[in-house]
Formats: sequence, structure tokens, C-alpha cells
Amino acid sequence: MRKYWEISKTYMKAQLVWRADVIFNMFFTISKILFAYLLWGIIFRDKELVGTFTFHGMLSYYIVSSFLSQLEMSEGISSEIHDRLRNGTFSKYLVIPAGIERYFMAMELGVVLFYLIFDFMAAAVWVFVFRIRFVFAGEWQVIACALVMTVLGMVFMVQLNYFLGILTLRFEGIGTFLMIKNNLVSLVTGSIVPLALFPEFVVSILRLLPFYYVTYLPAMLLTGKCGEEAVRGIVIIGGWCVLMQLVIRAAWKKYFTAYDGAGI
Amino acid sequence: MSKKNWRVLRELFRLRFHGLTVFRFDFFAPFFVDGSLFLIQLLAFGAIYSNVETIGSWGRGEMILYIGTFSLLNAVNMTVYFFGVTSIPHKVRSGELDLYLTKPVSPLFRLTFERISPGSVPLIVMSVCMISYGTASLDMTLSAVRTASYLFWLMLMEILYYEMEVIIRSASLYVVSMARMEQLEEAGIDLCMKLPGIALYGVYKVIFYLLLPYGIMATLPVQRMIGEMSLRGALYGIGVVALFTVITYEVWKQGLKHYNSASS
Repeated sequence: MRKYWEISKTYMKAQLVWRADVIFNMFFTISKILFAYLLWGIIFRDKELVGTFTFHGMLSYYIVSSFLSQLEMSEGISSEIHDRLRNGTFSKYLVIPAGIERYFMAMELGVVLFYLIFDFMAAAVWVFVFRIRFVFAGEWQVIACALVMTVLGMVFMVQLNYFLGILTLRFEGIGTFLMIKNNLVSLVTGSIVPLALFPEFVVSILRLLPFYYVTYLPAMLLTGKCGEEAVRGIVIIGGWCVLMQLVIRAAWKKYFTAYDGAGI
Repeated sequence: MSKKNWRVLRELFRLRFHGLTVFRFDFFAPFFVDGSLFLIQLLAFGAIYSNVETIGSWGRGEMILYIGTFSLLNAVNMTVYFFGVTSIPHKVRSGELDLYLTKPVSPLFRLTFERISPGSVPLIVMSVCMISYGTASLDMTLSAVRTASYLFWLMLMEILYYEMEVIIRSASLYVVSMARMEQLEEAGIDLCMKLPGIALYGVYKVIFYLLLPYGIMATLPVQRMIGEMSLRGALYGIGVVALFTVITYEVWKQGLKHYNSASS
């Protein structure tokens, strides 16, 4: 475990090189909040409730959802693997005395820990700027479940992006797949609109998918909603992590023989 | 456009088409990526409208028309000039712009049209289908005058879209890194493609109607189509396009004077 913690620490320090990026990433979280503030501001002008949301409940949801989706930074893993497999420099990961997937997990942990405090600060600033009466869950059990679910959700996203990166060994280019995946993920994780606004049969289908538990359900739990789904959610996202691991192993075994260390 | 420029345009298109057909999946990549983006937008607003009747004065039909209009502006952008204009910073940094300055054709003209993307044409078809769906939802009778004035506003806003893209990329002629400018553009477009101008007010209106006028791009054509456009709004729209035409011309012209070949 110690070597992986060292990897995490290295990546944490590496973020300090791009200080301007950190500041601008913080600043641009405003676009999601501003979208929610203006859109829901005009809708709530004539209404008290939309679904089960009040205006401030809705904005609290967007603040938490934006904070969590900002923390989820595993997207770069698939393109990193893709580029390195293509130009032959993936061998770097083969000679490092660490498991490749665990290396990426440690890398993600380092980046997330670094950004955690800055994203938290950004969220607090937007609550203050937009004068949001922040709604937060009252029960510690629910908060604990939301935190566990968030961690499992991030693990799943690292696994998914790692798996998509491996697919470079099978397909000529995965760039288009990754962009389509990002578009879909923004919808099914509830980053654009809360999934509770979709018809019930759509929500029950989404409940079977892992993306429901990556950002949406933790954000709902942390804003005091859907408490009854907390434990079931942890079990489902945990199950998806196990399943994804099996898929990764099978894909690695099947396709990695194609890598000759000189690029594809 | 002169006869010489037409010949150049035809030759650029032929070369580009030949290059693109080598990678068949990538040929349609812009269609898959942007098509999924706007379909997701339709689904998200479908979810909102299943809970509310109107957003401001706009119902479901107006919003479909808005999303379709933004999609069409983006589709024409992707088909005609996006890939050419976005290559400007790279060409400035690498000194490749030298080749464009020495050719007997306007450098900006060649840069604009040399990377036409025929694979994005289905995106135009998809956008027209969305617009037709929107007008059908509104039970609107399309007169020749209404359609012609909608097309006039579309053309005007497409020019504005192009000018914004050129101004932002021309910054590479003045500064070393322009990643932030592109991030700002991305945030502005991302916000305004989801949020019609009718939801903007106060300082937000100044920002997205004047400084980064993405807020008027799809709003004005839709307002013209549904008969909500005032004379003041029309004059304002024409004024903004005229202003940005002058700015684009000056920024590009002065930028070329700053250009120092590969050392830029």
C-alpha cells in the first residue's frame, strides 16, 4: 500500500505545477451553477415546487452535484492509455513495480485529494454569491452512506475509463466513443437535470445502471432526499465495481497480446 | 466571392474529402458526438417540461425550436469552418502560417474553408428535423416571409458564430497560451445552448448579449419565427453582428502584424 500512497503523493504535488489550471477549474464550476440559477430562477418565479424540489433545494442539489462531478477526474485515464498504447510509451507502466490499474487508482486518489479542498471552496463561494439557503441532510447515517457511495462511484468511473482505454488494443481509435460517453454520462449522472424529473419508468431503469450512483444519488442523499435508497445504492454500485473488474480482467487477457511495445 | 476563390474552395473541398474518407468512422465522428449532445439536450428539457408548463414565456415547442436552431448553427459551423478555424493557434505556434501568407489567396479564407467536414452534413439534416418537430409542436403555419426572415437571422447569427471563433483563435497571434480563452468560449457556448436568452437579465444579459453574444445566437432567430421579436431587438442583433465584424477584421489584421513566423 505504501508505494501506491507515494504515487498519490507524487500526483498531488504534480498538480501544483499547474496552479493557473486549479484556479480556472474552480472558476469555471460557475457555469453549471449559473445555468441552474438562471433556468430554475425563471421557472420558480411562478411555482413553489417542481417535483419534490423547492428553489433552494434545487440549487443545493446542483451545488453538490457540480462539486461531485468536478471531483470525478478519471476521464483522462482512457485518453492517457490510448495515446501511450498508440505511440508505444505504454511500456512505462509495464516496468513500474506496481499494478497498472492500481497505479491509475492511486493517481486518481492523489488528484482528487488535491482538488477536494479547492472544489469545496468554490462550492462555498457559489453558495454565498448566489445567496442559496443550502439544504443539507440531517442524519449522519445517510451522510456516511453518501460518502461511501461517492468513493465507490469514483472507483467505478476509474475502472470504466481504464477499460475504455484498453479497448484501444481492439479498435483503431476510441476518441469518438469517449466523447459520446461523456455526453451520455452528463445526462445519466443527473448533471444536467435531476433524474427525479424523468418519468418513473425511466428512473427505475436508471436505478439498475451504475451512473445513477456516481453523482446523482449521493447528491440527493446529501441534500436530504431518497434516504431509503442509500443502503441498496451501496450494494448496487459495489456489485457494478466487482462486475467491471471481471470485465477488465477478461479484456486485458484477450487483447493485451496485441501490444508489442512499439506502438500500434 | 471572386471566381478565383471559388476555384480554390472547390480544390480545398476535394482534398479534404479525399483525406477524410481514409478513416471512415472518423468521417462521421462530428455527427455522432454533436448529434448525441443535442439529443440529450432534448431529453433533458423533455424531463423539465413534464414537470412545468412554461419556462418564462416559452413552452415545449419554442424550446424544441431553440435547441434545433442552436444545433443547426453548430452543424453549419462543424461542416464548414470549425476544423479550419480551430487549427489557427497550432499554425501560429508552429510557424505553418507562413505557408498561408505566401499563397495568392486570403490566408483567413483558406484557413476557414480548407477543413470542410462533409461528415457533419447529417447533423444539418438532424437539426432541420428538430426545427420541423418544434414548428409542428407549435401548430405553426410557415409562410414564405416567416421562413425567409428566419433564414436571414440564421445566416446573420452564423456569421456572428464564425466571428467569435475567429476572434478567440486570433488571440494566438498576440499571446503564447490561449487555453483560457477557449475554456471561456466552451463555457459560454455550453451555457447558452441550454439556456435561451429570455432567461437572462441584468449583468448576465450584458455578458451574453454583448460581451460574449452566444445568448442571442439562437434566441433571435426563434423570436423571429414565433413572432416575439421587436424592432429594437432586430436592430440590436444587426448592430452586434456589425460591431463584431469590425472587431474581427481589426483583430485579425493587427494580429498578422504581430506574427513573427515560428517564433510567435
